[in-house]
Amino acid sequence: MADSWSEGTLLVADDLGKVYGEGDAATHALRGISLTMCEGEFAAIVGQSGSGKSTLLNMLGLLDTPTTGTVHYQGRDVAELDKTGRAKLRNGLIGFVFQFHYLLPEFSVLENVSMPALIDGTVPATELKARANETLALLGLDGMGAKNANQLSGGQKQRVAIARALVNRPALLLADEPTGNLDTVNTNAVYDLFRQINKELGTSFLIVTHDRSIAERTDRILEITDGLLVQDIRTSDVVAD
Amino acid sequence: MKPVLPLRIAWRFLKSSPGQSALIIAGIGVGIATQIFVGSLIVSLQDNLLNTTIGSAAHVTIKALKESDPVRYSPEMQKLFASDPRVKPDTVAPVRSVSALFSNGTDSSSLGVLGGKLDELNGIYKLDSRMISGKASIGPGEIILGKEFAEKFGIATGDTISMKFANNQTGSFKVAGIFDLGSAQFNLRNAFVDGAVPQNVLGWGNDQYSSIQMQLVQPYDSAKVAQQWSQQLPGVSVLDWQGQNADLLAGLTAQSVSSYMIQGFVLVAIALGIASTLAIAAVQKTRQIGILKAMGLGDQPAGQVFLFQAAILGVAGSVTGVLSSIALLALFRLSPAPFEITMDPKFVAFSALVGITVALLSSIIPIRQTSRLDPIEVIQNG
Repeated sequence: MADSWSEGTLLVADDLGKVYGEGDAATHALRGISLTMCEGEFAAIVGQSGSGKSTLLNMLGLLDTPTTGTVHYQGRDVAELDKTGRAKLRNGLIGFVFQFHYLLPEFSVLENVSMPALIDGTVPATELKARANETLALLGLDGMGAKNANQLSGGQKQRVAIARALVNRPALLLADEPTGNLDTVNTNAVYDLFRQINKELGTSFLIVTHDRSIAERTDRILEITDGLLVQDIRTSDVVAD
Repeated sequence: MKPVLPLRIAWRFLKSSPGQSALIIAGIGVGIATQIFVGSLIVSLQDNLLNTTIGSAAHVTIKALKESDPVRYSPEMQKLFASDPRVKPDTVAPVRSVSALFSNGTDSSSLGVLGGKLDELNGIYKLDSRMISGKASIGPGEIILGKEFAEKFGIATGDTISMKFANNQTGSFKVAGIFDLGSAQFNLRNAFVDGAVPQNVLGWGNDQYSSIQMQLVQPYDSAKVAQQWSQQLPGVSVLDWQGQNADLLAGLTAQSVSSYMIQGFVLVAIALGIASTLAIAAVQKTRQIGILKAMGLGDQPAGQVFLFQAAILGVAGSVTGVLSSIALLALFRLSPAPFEITMDPKFVAFSALVGITVALLSSIIPIRQTSRLDPIEVIQNG
């Protein structure tokens, strides 16, 4: 896999499979999925509920381990990393946004946003504060830093979660149904933000959604059905067709 | 990663559940206060009992092998006692004792008349501070009597009494004072006179005594000291208070054991309390820990969150316990107790340290729970 590595490639997943249970009770959540993502890509994974799209995202996000296959990040096989190594890679290279915001109610908005950088522990406090505030501003949350997460609206909370995912300036942002709990206005706002961040910061995006219309606003659509990657298309090609 | 973040998270977790945190701090506080109070009470009680029993008595006594023979207080013996650091300074008293019969015409009583130099006798019997009437003076022709003896025969300071000694000699003494050594039996059976009185009765030389008595810096060394000196001093009998008070020692030991058991159970109760609370806290914070782990927090710092929580609870609880024990002690002083409880700062520090250690050990279960937690469980279960 490392042999086929080329400049600008962010991740390569090869023959990923995930089986839950054994024997007759075995469930194949993923079946031999291979894909490559480049730096700065803006892609979506679509599929029916239970098709395996979240499982794939968790595997690419190093939250789950595949039963078969490999994941390489920037030329490195993550199977070679121990738990701490995977945690460090997650912290530095990947940002997560989930359907639920998962903000820490014990901390202020600014502290929540700063948390991944605090875990990293290498960013000086003053620089971190400036970066967190800058990220909040990017998401239209100026002046909200001192508030507690519980004082925000649903849309604001999800934007704080996005700011948190971006504070370490990750190469890849993985989002699992990030607007699943939001209304149409907030949903559109979030996708506009994703696109803006993709352009301004060069962050790659891989967004899981069951909403085809949202997926069509990305550059690439990966469709999963019953754990199989059945379609991998560029939206520009669809438009051209 | 620096331990600052786990500490910060631990502090916030505790702050987010103030009632729960206050309860567990109170729990540790009550436990530590109980430990300090019970420990101090038992130690003070034993000190008091020990002081009453042997505070004004010899811890080690050298006698001749035959009871009626004198023991020679040789220069070698003097050198041995002076050079042994276990001997309490200024408490070596060579004593001559002789039996006497006192009669007031209607009633009579035998009396052990102890003779020696006042300053030497003071080293053991603390006569100067034990006088309830008159003064501790045993000059020629003077005697000091025990409280119960004086009461029994209606004798007061300044009276003159006479008694008959074993060799039929008769002596007349002016009562210089009346003492109370805390033991009614001793007060009733003994009196103090100048050393020359029994020397004359017994017809002994200047270096011959009935016994050489002394106290030790550590009373509980007496058996060991006696055993050692028995080998170093041939031809004499070395007696120790421990050997002569086996029942008292058994009582004190039983008291100590029960005290340790109470303290042990209190510590187990504290440990169970903290462990269960922290385990519940770990379950309550599963979502937060899971998301922190998803963001890259390692197993070790995630576990440290609960170690720091335990440390904060342990320190706060122990401080609360120490302050509560001081308050308990002040309350105890208001009660009409026959003795005073003193707190040994070392024991207080030890108890506080035990509280913190128990708290830290109690965090093992939540630390293991947290370390095992896979962030995917939280993410998948919402």
